[in-house]
Amino acid sequence: MRFMASAGLVMILAGVAAYYTTDELSIFSVINLSVGPGLLVFVAIQETRRFQGFRGTFARRVMLRWALILTTVILAVVAINTAGRHWAGYLDFTIERSYTLAEQTVEVCKELAEDPSGTPAELLFFKDTHLARDVNLLIRSYESACDKIDARELLLAEAPSYAQPLLNAFEVTVLACRDQNCELVGFPNEENITNALIRLLKKQQIYAYFMFGHGEVDLANTTPLGFSELAASLRNVGIEPRGLVGPALTEIPTDAAFLILAAPQRDWLDAEIEILRGYLNGGGRALVFLEPEIDINFNGLLEEWGFELPPGVVSDRAVSPLIEDPDPISLLVNRYNTFHAITRKMGPRTMTLLPGTRAVLSVRKPEPDDRIGGIAFSSEHAWIESDTRAALQGRPTQPDPGELGGREIPLVAAGSYPREGQEARLVIFGDRDFASNRRLPTLYNVDLLLNAVRWLAEDERHIGIRAKTWTPHQDPFTLQQTLKYFYSFAFLLPEVLLLIGINAWYRQRG
Amino acid sequence: MIHRLAALFVKELRTLFASPIAYIVLTSFVSLSGVYFFQHILAYNRLLFVIQSEAVSSRSFDAGTIPIHVNALNDLFIPLSNDFSLFLLAVVPLITMRVFAEERAQGTDELLLTTPLRSWEVVLAKYATTFFFVLLILAASAIYPTIVVNQSGLGIAHLLTLYFGLFAYGTAIAAIGLACSSLTQSQIVAAILAYAIPFIFLDFSWLEPALSENVAGFMRTLALQTRFEGFARGVIELRNLLYFGGAVVIGFTVSLSALELSRAR
Repeated sequence: MRFMASAGLVMILAGVAAYYTTDELSIFSVINLSVGPGLLVFVAIQETRRFQGFRGTFARRVMLRWALILTTVILAVVAINTAGRHWAGYLDFTIERSYTLAEQTVEVCKELAEDPSGTPAELLFFKDTHLARDVNLLIRSYESACDKIDARELLLAEAPSYAQPLLNAFEVTVLACRDQNCELVGFPNEENITNALIRLLKKQQIYAYFMFGHGEVDLANTTPLGFSELAASLRNVGIEPRGLVGPALTEIPTDAAFLILAAPQRDWLDAEIEILRGYLNGGGRALVFLEPEIDINFNGLLEEWGFELPPGVVSDRAVSPLIEDPDPISLLVNRYNTFHAITRKMGPRTMTLLPGTRAVLSVRKPEPDDRIGGIAFSSEHAWIESDTRAALQGRPTQPDPGELGGREIPLVAAGSYPREGQEARLVIFGDRDFASNRRLPTLYNVDLLLNAVRWLAEDERHIGIRAKTWTPHQDPFTLQQTLKYFYSFAFLLPEVLLLIGINAWYRQRG
Repeated sequence: MIHRLAALFVKELRTLFASPIAYIVLTSFVSLSGVYFFQHILAYNRLLFVIQSEAVSSRSFDAGTIPIHVNALNDLFIPLSNDFSLFLLAVVPLITMRVFAEERAQGTDELLLTTPLRSWEVVLAKYATTFFFVLLILAASAIYPTIVVNQSGLGIAHLLTLYFGLFAYGTAIAAIGLACSSLTQSQIVAAILAYAIPFIFLDFSWLEPALSENVAGFMRTLALQTRFEGFARGVIELRNLLYFGGAVVIGFTVSLSALELSRAR
């Protein structure tokens, strides 16, 4: 009987296991799942017949009582569970429900409240558009968090006249308006709504000038290597990009909030260098992207401002994405100078990707009051690979004995230089690809870039991390992080527990 | 009564930790969790890498090309949570198998039955000890999902929801195991039953082809894994709590009946 019972159980398990493995109810599963329970029922009947355990009246009474109790309990549990299928009580702790407005949005709300004009902003939310349901909760969050925001839910046909021009030209779910002035919110997420509010708060138009004429990346280029995403990001935060042809340059426009020098490939004319030097000496600002293999006379100007640009590409296996064959020049940067305004909100979790970057060392202050230094760094395992071509082509590279520095290498640096009552500012990225169309939306690249832009435009108040979307982060883990977790917890913890167990065993035997 | 229960609880706990089995089970659970945690991180990174490499034919993480459903919740946290639930299924019967069966095999249950202790107090103490051990196992392995939560921005409430679900799931499995242990004096039989019953109840999808839509739907609601999935997603549903609570109540009643019948015999 015992064997038959075991065989029945084994057959059921084999039948179920075969189904789970092959994902189909094969003949093997059907036979096992039919014969197995049959054997168990047969054994149960035989055992019940042979059962002589409760001979006395007392024992039978106890058995009967407990059989009744057990049956009642099982029936009650089944009844409650059956009824419970229709009860909708739940507590939702999903990321969508635990959504809180970003720090940047709260800051914008404060700014609206502190604005001396006292004019409130309106969020016109059109409930007859197809994204209305998704955005309803978000609009309510704005309304409850910001005293100076009125959320108006209305039909497209009920839109006020000042909103009509935008409604006629675009498909709109949300519009941000203030003083009868409206700003378009693209896809209605927190980032875009907050940026529209920031644009409404701007007192005057800000212009950023892109320099052309030395092989720089094109702003209008929409290919993966182009900078059209960068131009769109600037417009989204209220900065209008304009072009400036370098060789025809006579002066930098006075309305330039800052210049963008997107990896010039060819030498500059001496006159151009002189104009740029004069602009910076007069308190100008510039955002500079470099490339590892390009060494032109423009780099000399950066050296005048205290930077050194050693040849080679930064390689660092420790901060490569964790894959079988880590690419040492694809750097997932997670170390920032948190004392600098640009990176004060960045941390180990807000990683940026700098693929194939050169080092930007800050070696000396041109004037005693100047402040220069790195703001984003490699790990201390990095080295500057002198064979740039091999590294960029993905061929295996190893650090030469002299190449290992044992220190964090700055990949992005910033400098501020008080001059003639003004303050010149420079931000230098060692990599142009960082801001290209294919890399800019990666991880927190946009955040770092926009923070740099805001610092250059003296708009420090809006420096932060962009408002999050509802999606959990899509950040990878670096090799260094994972190995740290693995050795600390996956090995150490079980090891300690096992040692305690062995100790308990010996003590018991003793 | 509280003193008696506390004394019984401490006695059961001492018995449990006097043998190396508790440590072996703890170590196994933590090791399995650690290894799978590492494997999931590798798989998650590889997934991100493959998606992005395919999109732009590049050897690094690129942009905006990751579909919205590929994220740390779907591809790291939920698979890890499901693994945890299966590991519970694997290790909890190792603890429950001995609780009643060992006493019966060694004859020490006779002593217990002749004391003035009530049966429900004895059973309650054994259940409480086992549930405490389940909690201990989960606490020891909490570091892995905590790392994921920290990395993915899911929030502490989501992590606590998962652990609440794992605890409910673990207590249901433990209750089934303890009920099996109370019905036999063989630890092996108790263990086989404690593995078999939750395994059969794990997922009834194998029965669905043979059932009508309504019945299949009902069977789906009986599956352990279906009931657990909500917790991993961050939702505590009343009906799932009723399900796991029901399993504990039935298990407790079975153990109590078995003890009362032993007394009667």
